[in-house]
Amino acid sequence: MTDIIADTSKSRSELAIIIAGVARDPLGLIGLIIVGSIVFSAIFASWIVPYDPIAMNIPDRMQGPSGTHLLGTDQLGRDTFSRVIAGGQVALKVALPAIFGAMTIGLTLGMIAGYGPKWLDNFLMLLFDTIRSFPTVMFALAVVALVGTSLQTVVFVVMATSIPTYGRVARTQTLTLRNSEFILAERAMGASMARILGVHMLPNIIGVLAVLAAMDIPTVIALEAGLSFLGLGVKPPTPSWGVLLKDGYALIRQTPWLVVGGGLPIILATLGFTFLGEILRDVVDPKLRKNR
Amino acid sequence: MRLEWKKASVGRRNFLRGATALGAASMLPMGWASRAMAQEDGVLRIRSYGDLSTMDPAHSVGVVDENIHASVYNKLIQYKPGTEWGWQMDAAAMIEQADATHINFALRDDIGFTNGHGAMTAEDVKFSFERIIADATESPNKPDMGPLSHVEVTGEREGTIVLNDPFAPLWTIALPYITGNIVSKAATEAAGGRIGTDPVAESGPYLRASWAAKEKTVLKRNPDWKGDAPVWDTIEILPIDDENTAEIAFDAGELDLTRVSLGSVERYRGGVPNGGALIENPSLYYVWLGMNLDHPKLQNIKLRQAIQHAIDVPSILQAAYFSAAAPSTGIIAPGLIGHRPSELVAPAADFAKAAELLAESGETNVSLTLDVLNKTEFTTTAQIIQATLAQIGITVEINLLESGAFWSSGENENLQLVLNRFSMAPDPSYATAWFTTEQAGIWNWERFRNEEFDMLHKAASAESDNAKRDEMYRRAQDLMEESGAYRFITHEATPVVHSSRVAPALRPDGLPLLRYFGKA
Repeated sequence: MTDIIADTSKSRSELAIIIAGVARDPLGLIGLIIVGSIVFSAIFASWIVPYDPIAMNIPDRMQGPSGTHLLGTDQLGRDTFSRVIAGGQVALKVALPAIFGAMTIGLTLGMIAGYGPKWLDNFLMLLFDTIRSFPTVMFALAVVALVGTSLQTVVFVVMATSIPTYGRVARTQTLTLRNSEFILAERAMGASMARILGVHMLPNIIGVLAVLAAMDIPTVIALEAGLSFLGLGVKPPTPSWGVLLKDGYALIRQTPWLVVGGGLPIILATLGFTFLGEILRDVVDPKLRKNR
Repeated sequence: MRLEWKKASVGRRNFLRGATALGAASMLPMGWASRAMAQEDGVLRIRSYGDLSTMDPAHSVGVVDENIHASVYNKLIQYKPGTEWGWQMDAAAMIEQADATHINFALRDDIGFTNGHGAMTAEDVKFSFERIIADATESPNKPDMGPLSHVEVTGEREGTIVLNDPFAPLWTIALPYITGNIVSKAATEAAGGRIGTDPVAESGPYLRASWAAKEKTVLKRNPDWKGDAPVWDTIEILPIDDENTAEIAFDAGELDLTRVSLGSVERYRGGVPNGGALIENPSLYYVWLGMNLDHPKLQNIKLRQAIQHAIDVPSILQAAYFSAAAPSTGIIAPGLIGHRPSELVAPAADFAKAAELLAESGETNVSLTLDVLNKTEFTTTAQIIQATLAQIGITVEINLLESGAFWSSGENENLQLVLNRFSMAPDPSYATAWFTTEQAGIWNWERFRNEEFDMLHKAASAESDNAKRDEMYRRAQDLMEESGAYRFITHEATPVVHSSRVAPALRPDGLPLLRYFGKA
């Protein structure tokens, strides 16, 4: 029991150090604020939105920004600001499970490839390369044609196409570590493969992958928006930043506010997560931390 | 040689000044130059939504190719510009319906082909028409020629078109449109029977001077043309797919004519830049909500009628078509034979009636899918349908499909509701052709099967009395609507803007007839 408490307090203090390290850097602080705002607004979207994001009011369509509608209204008279906030929820609903799933699967397969026999390594690398050779949009088109558009389809497409990236990084890290003295010592003492990978290698790899994941989130958000822009994402009337952009593009000569509403959060999310990821990398990497 | 790097004495302000001056200097002359180019006398610059795909009328893919073909080739008859559908003589000096299946014609004696291929003869007409229906040609436009049997050549410039059955659309589609273009037999045979993206011989008032793929097609006046001289020396056709882009180009003075989006109509009604004008033409397209009659969920006619009554067409037209299009009464547009003055189900939703019909149907917890093409006007329309059907308790899930998947929906037996839009030629038979029993599961996605409809479609195509045809097509549309499988929405519109120096010559549906364009 004492050990558990000690472990928890240790990990808490490490997390606090990382957050403090990120917040000390101006870019990191900006990133933290932006990401925090996006996550906060996504979690509490139903309390923040002034209007039902899917409620139509056709007589009030295509209005510009006003005190009533902060970002105006779309072609169906829906409040754009409410749809932007609700769109953030969709973006995170796609990005977080997709990245987590891709990281988990990629990490597992990558470590097995790096530590396992050569034939398995070759097989997994071939698998990763095969998946990577599919252009994401073409792959999405094929999947959508088979199972139809939905949030789950987008998550699956993003996850499937992201696995090789995590797998390759995990494999490289594992190959670097597999002949380290502490691993050789563990092996000499008869530790099982599961113990070596799970207890000794995982903590040394997870940090790198976490940074990679943080920097991948904006890519995934942009990918979700892109798929929704192409009609391969969420189904109407679910709001999505990509759908806002698509409608905005079609109606740009009538109202520019839909493009602003769809584009600005994508830009902010990209900046926020990128800043956060960059600084996070500096903080968790001891070599980079020393050079700061 | 020794290079010495010195620190430039450029401060922030100087840099900003310099950059602004550079920007202004580089942009202004470009703007002037391009405007001067657009306003160059004798050059008409128009936008086409697509690029040329072939110079062979047998393989023409539609309006985009036809714009060019109609300028460089001749037909026996051509569409007449104006607000009412009609035709006028072109290469024919005489044309008459001898009986229900025979049309006699005589060609003008002053039309010749370029590249030394001589005068246009009845053999050229025979060759052009018969190669469309020949299996070896594999022409996608073969159906437009209907029951054409052959062309009899009775003299150097005289002949008779022989049909297997009477065919009224010969005068409205086959002769004045794509399949009516006459090509040179000698030139085409010398080219191996196939014409590619370069013409083998031309005969019209214009010649195709150049074609740069995805960039520009240039037509120049034909110096050997003996008919009424075209007004413009040069016509430049610029393929611009996106309407927003085309509008920006027009507003900047780069184009003399373009179709504009329905969303921009209100703005152009308030004034067209550079003294131009807006022309609002009705379109022949038809948009409707279809219901698959073979689907188990849609077997109950009361349910289908409830759906018909719950869809509010005025809301759709306001939100998706910017109030620039009118409700349709069927599949045949105003101005054509067979257009119905009113529909059986009024455009405005009647939720009380819809709820009553739904209750009578005995159906509860109805949940349906609605397949739509992923374009803003259709997704907007679909969301209004979704919202209005929700008001009577019907749940609709929208499936957005990209064009490949959408246009193969005929094979989709699980299709339930579908929002559809078909193009149209100016004859009612072109509309009814897609809803016959034999088209079920091909283009008839509702799988509507009605013997009387099939009979009317066949009989009306062969009927030469316009009053009788009109009655038949109206009845055919009544049958479609009575089946409960259709909710007609709109024929859309074709708003066109043109510059102050152009007197456009447009078909009643707003499509340009370039050879007849004048100067204001």
